[in-house]
Amino acid sequence: MVALAVILSDLLFGMMLGCVFAVVAHGLNLIWGVVKVVNIAHGEFIMLGAYGAYFLNVFGGFNPLLSAVVDGALGIFVGYAFYFSFLHRELRGKERITLRSEMVTLVSTFGLSLFMSNLAVVAFTGDFVGINWSPGTVALGFLELPLGALYVTILAVLIISTSVVFLDRTYIGNAIKAYSQDITATQLVGANPTKVASLATALGFSITMAGGALLTVWIPTGINPYMGALYAPISFVIVVLGGPGKMLGSLLGGLTLGVVIDVLQAFVPVSLAYAVAFLLLIPVLLFRPEGIVK
Amino acid sequence: MRIAGLGVTFFGLLALMLLLLILPFAFPFSTSVILINLLFYTALAYSINFITGMTGYVSFGHVVFLGIGAYALGASADVYGLDPVLGVLLGAALGLVFALAIGLVTLRFRGVYFAISTVVIALAALNIVLELPQLGGSQGIILNLGFQPYSWYYTIWGIVLFEMLITYYINRGKLGLGIRAIKSDEDAARSVGVNVSALKLYLFGLSGLFAGAGGAVFAWTTSGVFPYETFSLTFSLQMLAMIIIGGVGTSLGPILGAVVVYLPSYYFLTVAIGTQLIIIGFAVVVIALFIPEGIVGTLKRRSASLRELLE
Repeated sequence: MVALAVILSDLLFGMMLGCVFAVVAHGLNLIWGVVKVVNIAHGEFIMLGAYGAYFLNVFGGFNPLLSAVVDGALGIFVGYAFYFSFLHRELRGKERITLRSEMVTLVSTFGLSLFMSNLAVVAFTGDFVGINWSPGTVALGFLELPLGALYVTILAVLIISTSVVFLDRTYIGNAIKAYSQDITATQLVGANPTKVASLATALGFSITMAGGALLTVWIPTGINPYMGALYAPISFVIVVLGGPGKMLGSLLGGLTLGVVIDVLQAFVPVSLAYAVAFLLLIPVLLFRPEGIVK
Repeated sequence: MRIAGLGVTFFGLLALMLLLLILPFAFPFSTSVILINLLFYTALAYSINFITGMTGYVSFGHVVFLGIGAYALGASADVYGLDPVLGVLLGAALGLVFALAIGLVTLRFRGVYFAISTVVIALAALNIVLELPQLGGSQGIILNLGFQPYSWYYTIWGIVLFEMLITYYINRGKLGLGIRAIKSDEDAARSVGVNVSALKLYLFGLSGLFAGAGGAVFAWTTSGVFPYETFSLTFSLQMLAMIIIGGVGTSLGPILGAVVVYLPSYYFLTVAIGTQLIIIGFAVVVIALFIPEGIVGTLKRRSASLRELLE
């Protein structure tokens, strides 16, 4: 009975962790799937979102959930700025992204990640900080669930499912989906490809930075300039697990990763659990490059 | 002007290496320590140049081979009391073996998929080493090899010389034609009979070998191996920055990039560690977006007379 309870709570915590991982990776997934670009500096924008939540808490008394909304709004502007400074020159007038452009975006966003994380050390100092916010717990049978993590889980699922509905049911969402499939055809039916691609990038950044704010609930003392170096690879793995461009794939990949890490931790040291989780990427790329579910 | 088919770049690099051969005797110790570091970064730059520079496969996790080389020297010197020079050879051998094993799987992935698979492998390697008590776990290995600046210097000098010769040989020969074909269009190269997979693996193996040797020298000069330091992705990023700034794939680019990246950062060391990386990051963004050929490529494009001279 006790053992069962431990396994159940491990599983539940793994799933909750997976949901927050999923929302952190979701912005990357959207950009990767639509614009076909991998932003190596993805982790640095998560870091920016986390610091956003931290400073809103320190100076405005905001809790991370409120900060996620503010971060999400800021992310729209950051995303547009990113699109027009890093992607526009490579994507403009092209029917599909070339391998050369792919390399340019990889290398330039890698430079950006180096630039941002080290600028953050100067601006925010290298110290670990955190947000002190705990709305209490709720009892669920024999399980004590922290309410903060529960709210985050709900919000994460809400954000991801809203984005799915948005892409499926609205005109502009359909335009984004069309762009991800065939750029020329999108133009033929009268959608401006630059508008569509920049909007998708902006939405991706909005979700990424909101995800950074939500993540702070899970890492009470873990906000620091180099946190991107952990959460960017986690996001890469999640997107590959779920399949780039599949919006529900983020949730699937996140849940898989969260459960794998949490369950493995019961048997091996934490760092080995993470090593296994990272290496999951290789067999998936080899055998199921379209994601673990077709 | 060519002598026996070898151009000015070849003789220029040879002259530079000969100058570096006698330089430690002409200058005081402090200078040769700067030169050791400069040669160390040059070795790393040439090493990543083999794969990322020549084929366009961006190896973000290249530090994994440096770490393996460092641990090879660290463990062999610590446990078996192996001579450090043999440790460097061991580091090179293990770098080669791991590169072939990793390359066999990851080189099947194209573009971004290759890049991110190298990142996760480097991170996984760090996390595994942290849990290996034989390798000192999170404490690492502290070595007591003493201060041997001349041995350090000539070992790393020899590594760089080998790298330059091989790079030059590849770039000039028929091999280079095949490799450039892979870089511009892998499928087309395959269809005209270039053995794409073998060439890529060969280059990745070379780059792993030299990164392993460089990593072993790093452990030797710092008299210790510490997991977070040796597997720091910052190394990968610096290597990449050097070849991007110098000129990817060229014979001259890596050493130019190493000089341009390392020397200023040595003098700015007193300002703040982070500041140099901010500047390097910014430089990489600007160069990647606006002058993707780097210094050497841009000079070649701009001037017809230099096009003949620089390789």
